[in-house]
Amino acid sequence: MAAKVKQLPSRGGTPAEKVYLIEIFKGMAITLKHFLRNLWDNSNLYVRHYPEVQPDIPARWRGRHRLLTHPDGTPKCVACFMCQTNCPADCIMIKAGTRIDGVTEKMPVSFTIDLAECIYCGYCVEACPEDAIRMDTGIYAFTSSNREEMKIGMTEMLSLKGGFPEEEYQKGLEGE
Amino acid sequence: MYIDTLFSIFALIAIAGSLGLVLFRHPMQSALCLAVTMISLAGIYALLSAKLIFLLQLIVYAGAVMAMIVFIIMFLNLREKDLPEERERFTYLIGGAVLLIPVAWFMIKVMKSIPGVKNSIVGNGFGSIKELGQVLFTNWLVPFEIISLLLLVTLVGAVVLAGIRRESND
Amino acid sequence: MTNLDIIMVIVRVSISAFVPLCFLAVCVTMERRVAGFIQDRSGPNRAGICGIRAGGLVQNLADGLKLAFKEDIISEHVEHKFLYVLAPIISMAAAIISFALVPFADTLVLDGKSYVMQGIPWDTGILWFLAITGFSVYGIILAGWSSTNKYSLLGALRSASQVISYEIPMGLAVISLLIVYGSINLSDIARFQGQTWLGFIPMWGILLQPLAAVIFIVAAFAECNRTPFDLAEGESELVAGFHLEYSAMKFAVFFMGEYVAMFASSAVIVTLFFGGYNIPFFDTDFLIRNIKPVAFVLLVILPVFMFYFAKWIRRNNRSQYLRENDPRKAEATIYIRCFWILIAIIEVFLLAILAFAQPDTAAAHLLVALMQICTFLIKVTLMLFVYVWVRWTIPRFRYDQLQMLGWQKLLPLALLNIFVTGAIVVALG
Repeated sequence: MAAKVKQLPSRGGTPAEKVYLIEIFKGMAITLKHFLRNLWDNSNLYVRHYPEVQPDIPARWRGRHRLLTHPDGTPKCVACFMCQTNCPADCIMIKAGTRIDGVTEKMPVSFTIDLAECIYCGYCVEACPEDAIRMDTGIYAFTSSNREEMKIGMTEMLSLKGGFPEEEYQKGLEGE
Repeated sequence: MYIDTLFSIFALIAIAGSLGLVLFRHPMQSALCLAVTMISLAGIYALLSAKLIFLLQLIVYAGAVMAMIVFIIMFLNLREKDLPEERERFTYLIGGAVLLIPVAWFMIKVMKSIPGVKNSIVGNGFGSIKELGQVLFTNWLVPFEIISLLLLVTLVGAVVLAGIRRESND
Repeated sequence: MTNLDIIMVIVRVSISAFVPLCFLAVCVTMERRVAGFIQDRSGPNRAGICGIRAGGLVQNLADGLKLAFKEDIISEHVEHKFLYVLAPIISMAAAIISFALVPFADTLVLDGKSYVMQGIPWDTGILWFLAITGFSVYGIILAGWSSTNKYSLLGALRSASQVISYEIPMGLAVISLLIVYGSINLSDIARFQGQTWLGFIPMWGILLQPLAAVIFIVAAFAECNRTPFDLAEGESELVAGFHLEYSAMKFAVFFMGEYVAMFASSAVIVTLFFGGYNIPFFDTDFLIRNIKPVAFVLLVILPVFMFYFAKWIRRNNRSQYLRENDPRKAEATIYIRCFWILIAIIEVFLLAILAFAQPDTAAAHLLVALMQICTFLIKVTLMLFVYVWVRWTIPRFRYDQLQMLGWQKLLPLALLNIFVTGAIVVALG
């Protein structure tokens, strides 16, 4: 698609504009209009009253990670290290072990993501061959008072639920 | 009594400032000491009920001239390592002070020869803007105009000199 | 000195010293809320003590506490620690003293003695302001220079040269004003503006000297380092300008000094161009002679004003989202009750004056003085609003444009204005 070029007429040449004060007063009239409107009635502000009013998160939103499970509750992850290799921020740390439930050969013993380092790029989700990791929890606010608490482990990630219905999530994937 | 005390305070600050001007090594500190002297001199003018001179001292000397000097020192951004070493600084200082003794002696003589006048507040309107302006623009009109011409000449000269240097640089 | 003399000295000095400081809160809140409203957002409205937010005023308290308890860092590389500490003190002190000679009410006559309502009852008015604002340059230069930081130095360089060069058009604009008013005493100037022309046009400086008003106001903006002339702290180029290295309370003192300077210069602008403490169309004598009608009018106007003000508070002080038992509505009720109590107290005083006071008594003089102080403060607040309003409207100048404007436009215009004014004054005799 060719870039659209729009030629704007150059301003500031006429004597009235050269005086500058007139244009300043025009600009000040605009800001005064906004000010008075909002002073008179502040219900029209373009503001989300955040902690009370939460934003609508679309299904494509990359929030906190979760690990998915098979219907029987065992983790889908096979410890292939795809996500860890792909991670540009080096925030995923996986320790692999032998699988005990017999579904596949390997499973992670520990799966840690340092959320302080994570850049929420979603490469781990794309890299995963087993659809074992997703970022669809819809959790976008995560704070902590020390660095250690920013690392989340496997049990925590396994216990998180997806924030959206499955078909909506799939629709989001198609869009990408 | 009250005025005498104030006078002594201002005088002491003025002398301390001028001493600091000579004794401090860093030009910025010296310049600020000079500013302190200027301000305390302004205080002394105010005690003499010369309001206009007081304000002009504050605006022109303490405000503009000293600010300009301090500005230029800031502009040069002198650091401790840029300052020249002055090994025999105190020898020169003491030598200078000794040389000044006859002058000081002479000054004291002059001071003593002035007949004692009681320093009371002078009559209404003395030193105020209106009276000073009237005297300046009637009795002293010609000197005033000549001085203003002199200032104008220096101003134009400065502009011309600055202009010449810029042209040769281009 | 009688007791009354001493009380009056204390009152005047404390008004002129503490009103600028109290207006800091007004300035900062206004800056934030007006900025918010101009940009269609709400500004700080969360910080509160037990739910009382006072329209964002509590936010200032929180910020002040934060700055007071922050670690005060002086970097290792600061060589001249004394000058480094001195710099914020100079800029704050200069800002406060420059307000000292601005009259905030007409000369008050009590017991046959007259008291000039200025911090320092001295008649050198506007020259004092020019002299003291000149000193604020020292604060800037010392801060920038002693910080040993290239951004600070560049900021100080810009700021100082800007202040020095805009002092000249400012002084020249003042000269043409002085030709008109015939006095440098700000009290005289304010009294002069109490007259009316043809019976209904107040003889305000802005009508007599529009060009000088424009030049002076532009120069005052530059002197305060406010946008559009805030190149000293151009964030995109210089991080923060001359106070970059300052932290905690030292930074806060710079910050407060800036706002106090803003207050002082708007007070001077109001006194020079907008009639000072004068209530438009009513001069002091008229008010004192007709104290009973004046008190009656106030008595009627205040509750009416309060009624609409309460309605406004009700409309705007509520949560803008669904909420059960909205605590902000309870908060609004508290505000409205406080204001009604205040109004009731004032009404009682006014009733007392209406019942007992005779024209030309101490009570009448005091009431008029209070009314004039309120008028003065309202005018200054409006001028401060203009400062804020301009800041959130106009983008920053480029530095060469700034100096160009000062030297090539304002300076010749000010000189021309002096000649024209002089010629007209001489021609009219």
